[in-house]
Amino acid sequence: MSKSFGELHVLKDINLSVAKGEVVCIIGPSGSGKSTLLRCINFISPPDSGEIIFDKVSWRYFRSKFNVLANYRYEKKLPALRAEIGMVFQHFNVFPHMTTLENVSLGLQKVRKLKKDKAKEVAAQSLEQVGLSDKLAAYPDQLSGGQKQRVAIARALALNPKVMLFDEVTSALDPELVSGILDEIRRLVREGMTMIIVTHEMKFAFQVAHRIVFMDQGKIVQVGTPEEIRNTQEPRAKAFLSSILE
Amino acid sequence: MGKYDFSWRIIQEHLPDLIKGLIITLQISVAGMAFALLFGLFFAVLRFSQYRILNIISNAIVQVGRSLPLFVLLFWIYYGLSLKFKINFSDFQAGAIALGITGGAYMAEVFRGGIKAIDQGQSDAAFAIGLNRMQTSRLIVLPQAIRIILPQTVNIYVGLLKGATIVSVIGVSDMIYVAQYVSLETFRPFELYSFAGVVFIALTLSVASFAWLLERQLSGKSRRG
Repeated sequence: MSKSFGELHVLKDINLSVAKGEVVCIIGPSGSGKSTLLRCINFISPPDSGEIIFDKVSWRYFRSKFNVLANYRYEKKLPALRAEIGMVFQHFNVFPHMTTLENVSLGLQKVRKLKKDKAKEVAAQSLEQVGLSDKLAAYPDQLSGGQKQRVAIARALALNPKVMLFDEVTSALDPELVSGILDEIRRLVREGMTMIIVTHEMKFAFQVAHRIVFMDQGKIVQVGTPEEIRNTQEPRAKAFLSSILE
Repeated sequence: MGKYDFSWRIIQEHLPDLIKGLIITLQISVAGMAFALLFGLFFAVLRFSQYRILNIISNAIVQVGRSLPLFVLLFWIYYGLSLKFKINFSDFQAGAIALGITGGAYMAEVFRGGIKAIDQGQSDAAFAIGLNRMQTSRLIVLPQAIRIILPQTVNIYVGLLKGATIVSVIGVSDMIYVAQYVSLETFRPFELYSFAGVVFIALTLSVASFAWLLERQLSGKSRRG
């Protein structure tokens, strides 16, 4: 799989497979393409070439210059893939014009086609799991960063996705709120959720990951168990880790 | 200072006609605004289309629409279309369409600005939960953009309200037309046009305060995340 923005090759010949129930953490310096890789998986920024195989189904980016109908058919299929992949973002991206409950129930109603009452019920359960039962009617600007991120996690989990993508979800949080969000992810690890996590929290990554992917300059430099990566002899990975773990 | 005896009685005597004219002015400006919103949204959406050709076409139409004087537009639609293509609009329809095109060209830019101001992350998140493009625009982007769009929309409506006075040239009996007509009989143009002026000030102020209330209402409900 490859991805470029004009002349800039952000991702080059990426090849990565993730097994069901596996937790993979992606680490690497800024600008190494970690987030872009994540965004390719659910086609929010689709890869230019290559394929994503999800649940034995292959997905490729399609774009015709003239065949509007074919483009439309392609676009129409994407939501089905995306609904099975939960994603949580660095900047939360909760919907500011909706209450906490509406944020979470929206996808249940529009994508899972649940009746409004049922959707609200499932959404409330999902919010309860992240400890926000008392904030159902609150608007995002009444919440702290950590709470907003919990809403975003609940919003993704409510759809019962098969895999979760976390894109530097603690980077925009105040330091004292980080551990709460990491605990939410640990809970998912215990529940056996398949996850791909882009993070700068090295200690956390080495704790929870089954495998760690080290990326640099748009390429996967090394993949291995936390133990293997910790004792890496690969020069770039070694330099990165020593600079971080100082 | 010259001597001129104001005769405000004229206003009183012709008040029913003036009010009828005022109602026509309001009707035509509202109809024009409705067209403007439709055109504006349509062309703004085209500007965001993935197809470059649509971007270019809509951009061109918007630029031309903004540059054309309302007066010229009005003549084309009312006389031009009728003479050349036998498409006959009533004076009211022609006025509303002309206002709609001018207003729409401005509204397209307003919509575009409002939509662009919404963080890309909002649509990313909407796509990520499986909403399609249409749902993302309708449920996520537009409701947030409206707050940004509203104040400028009011400005454009005020512009159309004043622009609506030009339709008197094709014989729509709006307030200006009535004022003109009555002053021909009474030789009191000063009083009549001044009255119209004051009415427009009152209208503009009430539209602006209505918008202010609406904006406050909206900002109470939709907040920044």
